[in-house]
Amino acid sequence: MPATIKGAKTFVDEVAAEPGGEKINECIQCGVCSGSCTTVEWWEYPPRKIIAMIRAGKRDEVLSSSSAFNCVTCYLCTVRCPRGIKPAQLIHAVESIAEREGYRPKTPTLKLFKCLRDAMRQGRVWELGLAMKFYLSTNIFSALGNLPVAFSLISRGLMPIFPPKKVKGRREVAAIIDKVQAMQKTGELQ
Amino acid sequence: MKYYTYYPGCAMETTGKPIKSSIDAVTKVLDMELRELPDWTCCGCPGESINELAAVSMATRNLALAEKTGLDIAVPCSCCYRNLLNAHVTYTEDPRIREQVKQALAVVNLEYHGTVRIRNLVDIFVNDIGLDVIASKVQTKLSGLKVASYYGCHETRPYGPDDFEFPVWQDQIVEKLGAEAVFYPLKAQCCGGAQLFSQIDMIHKLIYKIIDNVEGHGAQCISTTLCPLCFSNLDANQGLIKSRSGARFHMPIIALTQLMGVAFGLKPKELGLNKNISPALDVLKPYLKVRV
Repeated sequence: MPATIKGAKTFVDEVAAEPGGEKINECIQCGVCSGSCTTVEWWEYPPRKIIAMIRAGKRDEVLSSSSAFNCVTCYLCTVRCPRGIKPAQLIHAVESIAEREGYRPKTPTLKLFKCLRDAMRQGRVWELGLAMKFYLSTNIFSALGNLPVAFSLISRGLMPIFPPKKVKGRREVAAIIDKVQAMQKTGELQ
Repeated sequence: MKYYTYYPGCAMETTGKPIKSSIDAVTKVLDMELRELPDWTCCGCPGESINELAAVSMATRNLALAEKTGLDIAVPCSCCYRNLLNAHVTYTEDPRIREQVKQALAVVNLEYHGTVRIRNLVDIFVNDIGLDVIASKVQTKLSGLKVASYYGCHETRPYGPDDFEFPVWQDQIVEKLGAEAVFYPLKAQCCGGAQLFSQIDMIHKLIYKIIDNVEGHGAQCISTTLCPLCFSNLDANQGLIKSRSGARFHMPIIALTQLMGVAFGLKPKELGLNKNISPALDVLKPYLKVRV
């Protein structure tokens, strides 16, 4: 077991120890989350099934699947769940574990999240830089479809081609992220 | 005069520029003063999916700064609004997370005491300023204009305060401007902004569903929430998507404050209307005082 989940015995305990996963044992498998999901047609395993698989201990199948990374965080599942489980946060807990443990599900979204994480360290997000970094690290040709959009945004001055002025708070933000990651790494959190 | 601490968010500086200028212009008319939070940083929303604790800590940094001003914090961007509010709720209700966030903020000598009220700008318009005051500022009634209000997700989900799935506040504002509010079921459906770069097919399908639904209910334009991600996603991407008829969509996308500004008699340029990609000015022409 990894250090971050000191004391956790099973996969379901591990998810329950992650922020957002606390209420996983209260799920009654009604399927309202899957039925409400905006993007369910792109998921290999819908949210209800993921919860069932976690409870059945299918750690590798869940963490190596791209399913959770299709979540657009629209919270329809969360406001409808009759047990108040907050499935969207639970899905984020799965994504967090998968990312931290080095699982590499086949989806560009994981890469996007990592680029976003780097962008946030600068204090404010510079969209064009983020987009270029993402496309260069995934598939540069997939950017072609977005060129007309990028062009109309840039020509209206809505997507600056130079990074924004650096804000003072960026050092504080980086220090906060470093501290959080250090706590997560050493397992201080349990 | 009402005072608020203003948290614009990263996207408001770039793709949200048209919204930002219209907010500045409209809030002046409504006797509000938005004081931008000094040294604000990214709310942390983009990283939430892979590290909730880091996201909550980043948001709490901004809340700790805002707390010093003693004012409510006004947030137009739905994602920032939800993430700041989520951080506040998590921080005040979950002792375990609170301890962890406290440790993270201690590194930069900040502390949050949990006293900030995080408010969506639409909420402020309806509940602090009031619909009657908004109606009293109207100079050109938008009579005959059929407007579909688009709320997106995070303006109301998961924290409200308007209804989660059938919110009405934007529609009420639109009606006060003299326009006709068009009901359509997908008004709080997700536009997919979170996957903007990574899954283009998904985004196109979600946008198709929303605009197709709006067209089907006979609206002439969409008045969006003040979230720059929703606004820009619908505004910039629809030109790539084929509608039911086979032609590409050309639905005018207008931010709520832009529409309010037109009714208040403000100039299109002040409202950033020259920067919209969709043909927003086409439907607004009859109501503008200045020729464009």
